Amino acid sequence: MDSPLQSIPLFMAGPVPIMPAVVTTWAIMAVLVLAGVLLTRRLTLLPSAAQAAAELLVGAVDQQIRDVTGAPPAPFRAFIGTLFLFILIANWSSLIPGVTPPTATMETPAALAALVFVSIIFFGVREGGLGGFLRGFALPNPVMIPLNMLESITRSFSMFVRLFGNVMSGVFVIAIVGSLAALLVPIPLMALDLLTGAVQAYIFAVLSMVFITSAVEKGAPEPGPEPGPEPALETEES
Amino acid sequence: MNFDPWTLGFQAVNVLVLVWLLHRFFWTPVAAMIAERQARAATLLDEAEARRAKAEAHLADIEATHAAIGAERDAMLAAARKDAEAARDALIDAARAEAAALHDTAKDARVRAAAALKATAMEEAQGLALTIAGRLAARLDGASVDAAFLGWLVQGVRDLSDADRKALTGAGLELVSATLQDAEAQDHISAALSDALGTPVTLRFRADPGLIAGHELHSPHFTLRNSWAADLDLIAAALKADDPHRNAGAISDAA
Repeated sequence: MDSPLQSIPLFMAGPVPIMPAVVTTWAIMAVLVLAGVLLTRRLTLLPSAAQAAAELLVGAVDQQIRDVTGAPPAPFRAFIGTLFLFILIANWSSLIPGVTPPTATMETPAALAALVFVSIIFFGVREGGLGGFLRGFALPNPVMIPLNMLESITRSFSMFVRLFGNVMSGVFVIAIVGSLAALLVPIPLMALDLLTGAVQAYIFAVLSMVFITSAVEKGAPEPGPEPGPEPALETEES
Repeated sequence: MNFDPWTLGFQAVNVLVLVWLLHRFFWTPVAAMIAERQARAATLLDEAEARRAKAEAHLADIEATHAAIGAERDAMLAAARKDAEAARDALIDAARAEAAALHDTAKDARVRAAAALKATAMEEAQGLALTIAGRLAARLDGASVDAAFLGWLVQGVRDLSDADRKALTGAGLELVSATLQDAEAQDHISAALSDALGTPVTLRFRADPGLIAGHELHSPHFTLRNSWAADLDLIAAALKADDPHRNAGAISDAA
């Protein structure tokens, strides 16, 4: 018996194996892009129900970014929002029979964590420059540089492991229970998997935002001292 | 358990592409629509606020106009009330003046009527007195009365001054009596008057019933009245001289 963690390529594109997770990701991408195009095709000032739902989603993402960063959400909206939507739909794709969520394989969470790691560097460098970003590793003092560098890797790695472990375990549990009693019994576990998938998507997005914000704040140039009241000119007449 | 680097790369690229696609076709259009709606809402709110401010300004103008109209109305009412009071006072003064004039006119008319009534009464009283005197004289003894009046006439002649008596003797004398004297009575009268004048006189005798009783001596320049009618005339003249003041005072008191 093959390990459930073992991925078998669907087909080979030359020397490149195309795994089911990649195909599922393409399908999810198609669905999301198509839905986005359809939703934004006829935007009006008086929104329809679908447009209102889309605006509600965008507003919620913006508000979440604003709460975490305290900055305008536009620069981070697309990345954080897309992470959340993709992970959510990927996690929930386990409800479709015969579909293994892409996040239940190691490559997809690892790719997402790698993108977050890169985005942290990108936003940090963009905010404070390369020097500012690197100086952030020396905070609060240079002794912390190795630990800070290690932390920047481990926190992305922890995101990868957390997402992969939660989704994969859910899939495993449902698969095991389904093999024992396939009728009706897995339904509560599937509902729990829905909740877990939403929570994991939210956690991944929020942690990404927190890490990016941390890098941005550390890389930002330190503000100068508050300008105090100008000293009064004293003239002494001698 | 295996880890395929190709799949890792594919998934990373897939997610990046998805980020770009959704940024292009979902996040940006929806966010732009939200921003546009917020801008439109802000614009509408600003316009509504401006219109509300304009409406409030208009309302304030209307209220000010109402207040001005109210003040003008009050002023007009006060002026009308003042005019009405002035007109009423003028009417009252005019009415009072007219009433006073009417009162004075009525008073004058009443005084004139009273005076006329009194004059009439006096005339009637004189007439009545003449009638009474005439009837009384008719009932009295004519000879005795004539003798009495003749005595009074002689005494009157004697009371005249000498110059007057002398003037009487030089002119034609006429003796007027109430009744025509017979010859004996004429002689007796001529003798008595000649004696009183101190010289013989020739008399012409004439009768005048208006004298009621008595004898009067008439000359071209002198008349010695000595009759009941003359006495009544004297009494009437005296009453006329005295009564107007007395009667006028009584009327004034009554008024």
